[in-house]
Amino acid sequence: MTTLATLLRDKVLLLDGGMGTQIFARKPTVEDYGGAALEGCVDLLTERRPQWIRDIHEGYFRAGADAVETNTFGANPLVLGEFGLADKARALNVQAASLAKEVARSFDRPRFVLGSVGPGTKLITLGHVTYATLLASYRVQMDGLLEGGVDAILIETCQDLGQIKVAVRAAKEAMAAAKRRVPLWVQATVETTGTLLVGSEIGAVLASVEPLGLDVLGLNCATGPDEMHAHLQTLAETSPFALSCLPNAGLPLNVDGQVAYPLGPEAFAGKVLHAASEFGLAIVGGCCGTTPEHIRALAPGVERLSPPKRAPKLERSAASLYQAVTLRQEPAPLIVGERTNANGSKKFRDLLAAEDWDGLVGIAREQQREGAHLLDLCVAYVGRDEVRDMDALLSRLVTQVTLPLMIDSTEVPVLERALQLAPGKCVVNSINLEDGEGKARRILELCRTYGAAVVALTIDERGMAKTRDEKLAVARRLHALAVGEYGFDPGDLILDPLTFTLGSGDEAFRGSAVETLEALRLIKAELPGVRTLLGVSNVSFGLNPAARHVLNALMLYHAVQHGLDLAIFNSSKVIPVAKIDPEDRRIVEDLLFDRRREGYDPLKAILARFSDRKAAAAEDRRADLPVLERLHRDILDGDKQAILADVDAALRDHDPLKLINEVLLGAMKVVGERFGSGEMQLPFVLESAEAMKAAIRRIEPHLPKEADYQKGRILLATVKGDVHDIGKNLVDIILSNNGFEVRNLGIKQPIEAILKALADWPADAIGLSGLLVKSTVVMKENLHFMEEQGHRIPVILGGAALTRDYVEGDCRRAYPGPVFYAEDAFEGLRQMQQIVSGEPLVAAPAPAADAAGGIKILRRGGASIPLTEAGQSSWVRHEDPPPEPPFWGVRELADAPVDLFAHLDEFALIRTRWGYSQGRLDDAAFAAVLREKAEPQLAAWKARLAAEPLLAPKARYGYFPARAAGDALRIFDPAEPDRPLATLAFPRQAAGRRLCLTDFFRADRTDVLALQLVTLGQPAADHAKRLYEAHAYADYFAFHGLATELTEAYAERLHARIRRELGIHGKDLPGRALFAQGYQGSRYSFGYPACPDLHGNGAILDLLKGEAIGVTLTETAQMDPEYTTSALVAWHPQARYFSA
Amino acid sequence: MGVKVHFLLEDLLVEAPVGTPLLVIAVGAGADITFGCRTCSCGTCRVRIAEGLDHCSEASPEERDFLAGLDAPPDQRLACQVVVQGDVAIEYLGL
Repeated sequence: MTTLATLLRDKVLLLDGGMGTQIFARKPTVEDYGGAALEGCVDLLTERRPQWIRDIHEGYFRAGADAVETNTFGANPLVLGEFGLADKARALNVQAASLAKEVARSFDRPRFVLGSVGPGTKLITLGHVTYATLLASYRVQMDGLLEGGVDAILIETCQDLGQIKVAVRAAKEAMAAAKRRVPLWVQATVETTGTLLVGSEIGAVLASVEPLGLDVLGLNCATGPDEMHAHLQTLAETSPFALSCLPNAGLPLNVDGQVAYPLGPEAFAGKVLHAASEFGLAIVGGCCGTTPEHIRALAPGVERLSPPKRAPKLERSAASLYQAVTLRQEPAPLIVGERTNANGSKKFRDLLAAEDWDGLVGIAREQQREGAHLLDLCVAYVGRDEVRDMDALLSRLVTQVTLPLMIDSTEVPVLERALQLAPGKCVVNSINLEDGEGKARRILELCRTYGAAVVALTIDERGMAKTRDEKLAVARRLHALAVGEYGFDPGDLILDPLTFTLGSGDEAFRGSAVETLEALRLIKAELPGVRTLLGVSNVSFGLNPAARHVLNALMLYHAVQHGLDLAIFNSSKVIPVAKIDPEDRRIVEDLLFDRRREGYDPLKAILARFSDRKAAAAEDRRADLPVLERLHRDILDGDKQAILADVDAALRDHDPLKLINEVLLGAMKVVGERFGSGEMQLPFVLESAEAMKAAIRRIEPHLPKEADYQKGRILLATVKGDVHDIGKNLVDIILSNNGFEVRNLGIKQPIEAILKALADWPADAIGLSGLLVKSTVVMKENLHFMEEQGHRIPVILGGAALTRDYVEGDCRRAYPGPVFYAEDAFEGLRQMQQIVSGEPLVAAPAPAADAAGGIKILRRGGASIPLTEAGQSSWVRHEDPPPEPPFWGVRELADAPVDLFAHLDEFALIRTRWGYSQGRLDDAAFAAVLREKAEPQLAAWKARLAAEPLLAPKARYGYFPARAAGDALRIFDPAEPDRPLATLAFPRQAAGRRLCLTDFFRADRTDVLALQLVTLGQPAADHAKRLYEAHAYADYFAFHGLATELTEAYAERLHARIRRELGIHGKDLPGRALFAQGYQGSRYSFGYPACPDLHGNGAILDLLKGEAIGVTLTETAQMDPEYTTSALVAWHPQARYFSA
Repeated sequence: MGVKVHFLLEDLLVEAPVGTPLLVIAVGAGADITFGCRTCSCGTCRVRIAEGLDHCSEASPEERDFLAGLDAPPDQRLACQVVVQGDVAIEYLGL
């Protein structure tokens, strides 16, 4: 028998359109409602005017709908109660359901009825109604719908996360009571603000309902299809449930005082079908303003859709009313704020005693500001009513704090009350097996009912587990219970292997930290997927605050190394391990790892060493430092504010030239050394350079006229044919802030122009930069040219594609003057210092005999693969026919600016573009750099780009008929497929697979070529230029890197759309793997190994009419403005990157 | 002392000095491995070290974190980051 569930497996389901729209079209009168007091009670019309409702259902079925919704949107006792009809609720639901079923049965093919459950008129999250009242009201409705025979329960138009959870519970309880399980659907309503009415992001909705187990989660109402894209995208990528979408017929307009909807049937259908294929919708239909005509227009397209295949990946999270926070933070750990706890914070306890609820909320918000990810909330206080206090505090907290909560109580009624009040997904803290399994089971049951994650402590009937084996054994029992019996996802089980104090000197606990650390490792290895938690600061109870801070920091550090995911911790007191004095670290680690020796007890050593030390003694005694010392520190800290005052102070007693030469340049030298040794990351270096710039500008007016602090001059240029600016600009920044005069000639500089500049401005050296592989050849040619012209000036070469061997071999042989390879700006600085020192330069060519770098080919097996008759590589197989694009020709992306950050490759941005590399830092110190510097930096840019119009992203793409002809790809006019528009030639590998890009297109028939072009627009390019010119180095560098990666993100976003439109998105990999070609086909950009000739950009711009979005070609075939990228997209499964 | 590098895809066997970057060997010998960014962030040059994993330089934290993000098994490396210290056999994964 076909059920709704089986039908969903076979096809995309078509639902009906608006019910209210149809009812109001019949202009119901007071008489129709049965009296003035009942006017507007639409649910009552099922009883009063059943034929209307029958006709509406029948109209939708005839239009092609597979299922209709009952006329029960407000049919619950709470809403009906406003008309004095609460008692009718059950009967109206039964009647509406059976009436709709009756109509459905009159059709031949399977037709279904969904029980419509609306949001009601009261928001539980804002305290309009109690949990128990709302639950009871929904229960009556659900019972009636099930009795009337609905095929599914559809909880729709949800505006309040709290309401969703109550309604879902009511539905489940009603199904259990009726012993009838039907699919359970939830549809949220995302307003034009991008959140539900109460402010929840769609991710928070998903995280909160996911543990409850649904069949369908989708969107309806509020907006038209276009405005739903970003949220559908989120659900498409992360929701494990089938995805539904029932938009309005566009955003409602007010036309002469009447609500009107702009989208007619065809336009609506086009947009919905587009969304269906783009996001893998399983169910489509309409909401307000849609009619049977809209559904009829949708029907043929829906019939042609195949059931969607998605590969969603949901990262386990907790959620507040507003947002979801993943339970695994990178870098670890997730920090649980510990100060909203009556046991842990005296201030909290005092405010609780005074019932200063606002003050208590203030503590929560403070921790949020300090970087906590989750808040541990405990209101247990002897002599007070814990349920009442939880109620009073939580009802205020949930709307005022954006962090998810960890509810900390030993009392089951307190936990239940909290879970009812907190709308998102909480973490319950905690269960254990101290009194056997009874209480743990009660709490696990609660967690399942309300959809919470749980903390489980390794305590059993014998007490707290002390050895690693005991801890693991108890953890296994807890896992068997929560995951095995109660069906928790392992990622929602957070195991705490307990921390004991090392401060007491108690012999029994001397090895306890080691046992805890090892237990962490064992738990992570033996129980895959679970999370771990520690109350880290317990480790140092009894010691003085200074010692506690160090011990806590080191315990946290080692715990993370051993697999800790969450730490209950006071985030404002975390000291970076790198800042701990090495001797402090040694003895504290001796305590941690119990390294006692004859005559040496680390605990005693700590007590002695820290006895008279105050916590945070490092707290600035800055002002007491001598001024030159302060200047030195200002440079190292990159403090461009403080340095101005310190420069002023220093100028009173010190020679300005000496300040520059000895103090400031001395400090910059340390910066360079720290960068070189990997202790300091590039963004910090740039901040130091900015401070240097600020200081020099302040000092310059005080310099005697003849004084020259400049040590030498260098001309910098990016070579001909290469537009890459950033590397060269970094060199400019570093050299010019280390006492060298720099003339920066810019990009795409022919050697003639560089030599002309040299004639005008005699320099000590020339620096050539370039990123492209081709640029390495250009550099060598430039050197040849200089040789011929008789130049001998030293030349420094730098760029990503260069190697030391190539420069010191090939390039040195091409030029009789000194040639250096600079791996980074600081190596360039050292070379400049050497060049101006007057000492003889050692820059002899590497032995020529070793031209091949000592590489010898011993065997090249296997003959090259033969070409086919058509001149293509026979390695490529043409098995499947080309896919059919949804249209031929060109389109501009009409979407509102997409959320590019969702597609941002953060690893490439932070680690490569921004230069946060770990170097010699240990994992924890580097994690701290990422957490304290890189991530806030990214968040700040994100906020800034949301607030300021610095990006104007635009895109065009299109599908063209194309055909391979040997090494050429012929592209035809979509309107006249015989008319050639362009022919592009590509290089072919000389041996081996003998691939050429054209091989991925058919030679024997017409194939489909997709072209794409994205740009961040002129404003982005202008902004980068402004920053550079204003010497805002760090910002410039950060913005440039971000804009480059956002351009890539946009390209990937568009490529994903093309894959979906071609129906080849089934192989898209989730997460980061997508960025490493984790999809079918390939996106080739000119200038890369498979298609190195940049002139291809011209053809793409012509075909896509790039000028329509302001993109033009420069004379060297680069695209302007900056932050623009184009690509050819091949769909062929074997199409990957390759080098020709 | 030379090391032998065997590129399995095309059965290409190359000798190179100990301590030569795999990138230099692959490009020098014309092996069919595609390099993209060469700076450990695009993944185009991902390879499987079929033999001689111990003969490869240790992964930098960047490479380790990059590969972890792809859930790559321990025998996979980025060819642009590996320095060859002994005989190895290389299987290119970007096909």
